[in-house]
Amino acid sequence: MISGLFDSVVFLFTFLPVVLFLYCLMPGQLKNALLLLASLVFYAWGEPAAVFLMAGMILFNYAWGLHIAGILKNRRRARSGVIICVAVNLGILGFFLYGRTVISALNMALPVQIPFQGYALPMGMSFYTLQMLSYVLDVYRGEVKAQKNPADLALYVAMFPKMPGGPVVRYSEMEKQLKARQMSLVKIGEGAMFFIRGLFKKVIFADNIGLVHAQIMSLEAGQVSVLSAWLGCAAFALKIYYNLSGYTDMAVGLGKMTGFDFPGNFDYPYLAGSTTEFWYKWHMSLGSWFREYVYHPLGGGDVEETKQVRNILLIWLLAGLLHGMSGGYIVWGLYCGLLMVAEKLFLWRMLDRLPGVLGHIYSIILVMIGWVFFFQPVPLKAFAYVGNMFGVGANALADDLGMYLLVSNLVLLIIMVIGLFPFVYKIYENVMDRGGRGKALINCMIYGVMFVLCVAYIVS
Amino acid sequence: MRQKRQKDNRSLRIYRRKTVALLFFALLVFISLLELIPVERNFSEKENRSLQTRPRLTLQSVASGTYMEQYEAFRSDQFLGRNLWGSLKTQMDLLTGKRESNGVYKGKDQYLLEKIARADQKKIEEDLGAMEEFKVRYEKIPMYFALVPNAANILEDKLPRFAVTEDQREIFGSISRKLWEGITWVDLSKPLGSHSTEEIYYRTDSHWTTLGAYYASRQLVETMGLDAEKTPEWEKHVVTNIFTGDLSLKSGYQSGYQESIYIYTAKKEKDMPQIVVDYGEGKISTLYDRTKLKERDAYDLFMGGSHGLTDIRTTADTTERLLLVKDSYANCLIPFLIPYYREIVVVDPEYYEGNLDEIMDEKKISSVLFLYNGNTFVQDDKLNGVLQSGKAEQISE
Repeated sequence: MISGLFDSVVFLFTFLPVVLFLYCLMPGQLKNALLLLASLVFYAWGEPAAVFLMAGMILFNYAWGLHIAGILKNRRRARSGVIICVAVNLGILGFFLYGRTVISALNMALPVQIPFQGYALPMGMSFYTLQMLSYVLDVYRGEVKAQKNPADLALYVAMFPKMPGGPVVRYSEMEKQLKARQMSLVKIGEGAMFFIRGLFKKVIFADNIGLVHAQIMSLEAGQVSVLSAWLGCAAFALKIYYNLSGYTDMAVGLGKMTGFDFPGNFDYPYLAGSTTEFWYKWHMSLGSWFREYVYHPLGGGDVEETKQVRNILLIWLLAGLLHGMSGGYIVWGLYCGLLMVAEKLFLWRMLDRLPGVLGHIYSIILVMIGWVFFFQPVPLKAFAYVGNMFGVGANALADDLGMYLLVSNLVLLIIMVIGLFPFVYKIYENVMDRGGRGKALINCMIYGVMFVLCVAYIVS
Repeated sequence: MRQKRQKDNRSLRIYRRKTVALLFFALLVFISLLELIPVERNFSEKENRSLQTRPRLTLQSVASGTYMEQYEAFRSDQFLGRNLWGSLKTQMDLLTGKRESNGVYKGKDQYLLEKIARADQKKIEEDLGAMEEFKVRYEKIPMYFALVPNAANILEDKLPRFAVTEDQREIFGSISRKLWEGITWVDLSKPLGSHSTEEIYYRTDSHWTTLGAYYASRQLVETMGLDAEKTPEWEKHVVTNIFTGDLSLKSGYQSGYQESIYIYTAKKEKDMPQIVVDYGEGKISTLYDRTKLKERDAYDLFMGGSHGLTDIRTTADTTERLLLVKDSYANCLIPFLIPYYREIVVVDPEYYEGNLDEIMDEKKISSVLFLYNGNTFVQDDKLNGVLQSGKAEQISE
């Protein structure tokens, strides 16, 4: 159990009821203040020291945003101003992302020891830095006015619903909602359903399938069969999807309970027909951040082909680096980037001629191979793992352990795979919205049972 | 008509969302209020670990974040009806096909089988080294080392389909090869393996049955060269048939299965010596504590559970004195050893604070038997301590 996340007893049965209760009581103008206070408490609960860092960065960007807004007419000054601001933000983020790795590498290389180890990356720092950059850049482009109220800017950055797992909302999307938003019992109910679904995805699906992945990862070389290797990889693919989309659903749900509308983040990505399409449907808010603030400024798809290729690879390198300084992430980023380039140049035309189902299979397999570099940050070991998946270095096609893990998680796997398709949810919603009041009660019971099951898994 | 239907649907959509909102708030408030009831437990018998109690609030612990971690653990550990929630989880896991919980397999024929524990080579080498040094100090006294295989080893065919666990035969093989030759290895895998179709392990408990211990005792008599003429004709009596063992609680697989506990006595009373047992709390004349049958762990019937030091004197016609260093598996085996010894000093290092050297000198021990089950031995961290030389310590002080 990790402090400062949603699937904990303290959050569900102390923090959330108290905050929601006070939030409903507060008069309109104080709602934002309460939410900001709650968000700071939430963040400090998980990161007691780093809350000051976050507060400092918010104040810095608040001041800098006003400064840039004041010199907007002078494009040259504004430009250098925004460059400094971006550099400072990225510098601080980089220090926390890579400090440890760089210092330990230096210690290995240099004859002297640096008496300092660096710090671990505070929770949510990558995402909130990107969101602050979005604010400063939107101000610089004149798309939004600078926020005069530091508390509202702080709320945009630090809002607790989206702290653990996004979505990475753009400031321009939030500006109006920070001023005024609608609240109703209907919206709260909608939010509660989102939240319970998200909690279920995280606690029941992601955590349990994660155990399968962890068990296979704990095997030593030579103990892995082809079946185990694929099962481990599939378990990770499912885990990361249900984990991230679960957190997004919880964020959307909590947002709705407090009147906000956050964008969705995942659009059934595993049904994509190519890896390019997959990444369009995966963590969409992060993808659109990169498109908006990196890809398009570099010329986007309108420049000559070689530059497009360069831009795509650059973005993927950044995406890899955003996860940390490790060979695996960089290989993963380059792998995804190269695939996207290949699809753009020729693969797409080939895929178009094939029956659709082959495109889906192609996409899923290549994405899964990519995940190997993501969950195994040591590139050599990752290559060995991919080898195992195709029989190189595997002990057998299928062994008892692989069969045992498959059989004892089969029901879970089947349900989770069905959940990758939209039809279950669509049919459910259709049936429920057309039914009488009896169906509404059935709906209530289903969500109630889901919540109770989540509590059982959280407590045990 | 159509418009009306649409309007109906819309109001139903709203109704559905409103009801969920109310339900969600009701659940949050209800459970939060229940949580305010102050009940604190220090220990979970189910998980066999101490529970986090309310942490102390200090500026330092808040600044470092340890307070938050402890408080989260406290809230989750002290959650109202925790074991009930745990059973719900186990039932769910069973439904989705999982066949293990908390290190326990739900096997075939109602068998619950503890996973075989992985052996830490370094720790085992240190233990065996300490045993060797101990043996060197008492060169003339024969010493024996017996490891009891666990159910998941002997009853492998009862494991769930495809389940794999550590290879205990391999672990035992490696231990017996590393054991110094001055100490005699007693191989209990054979006598137990050849009776694997009989009830030699409980289905709901981590221990072997008295029958299992009986087969082991025959092997011990043979290997340790005990006087076979003293062996009485044994007769078994059932003392309870509503026993549910510790694995049922540990795993949460509470199927309601109940089994029997047997004790073995000599058919002819004169074949069994009289005994005086001293746990350090006064002397009694029995190896069984029937009051424990009513308690949670009825296996404690044998020897009244585990004690650090137990002294058993008998009227057996011999001068042999045994030091038995053991875990709880030995508790139901001890009755089978009574006829061959004048005195048996039983030490369970888990609960014993002293040192074996004191006992060796004081009690004029004539042979030593180390008896553990495989899982306890590879996980034990107390044996090494009691084996350390007490004399060396005095010098260094």
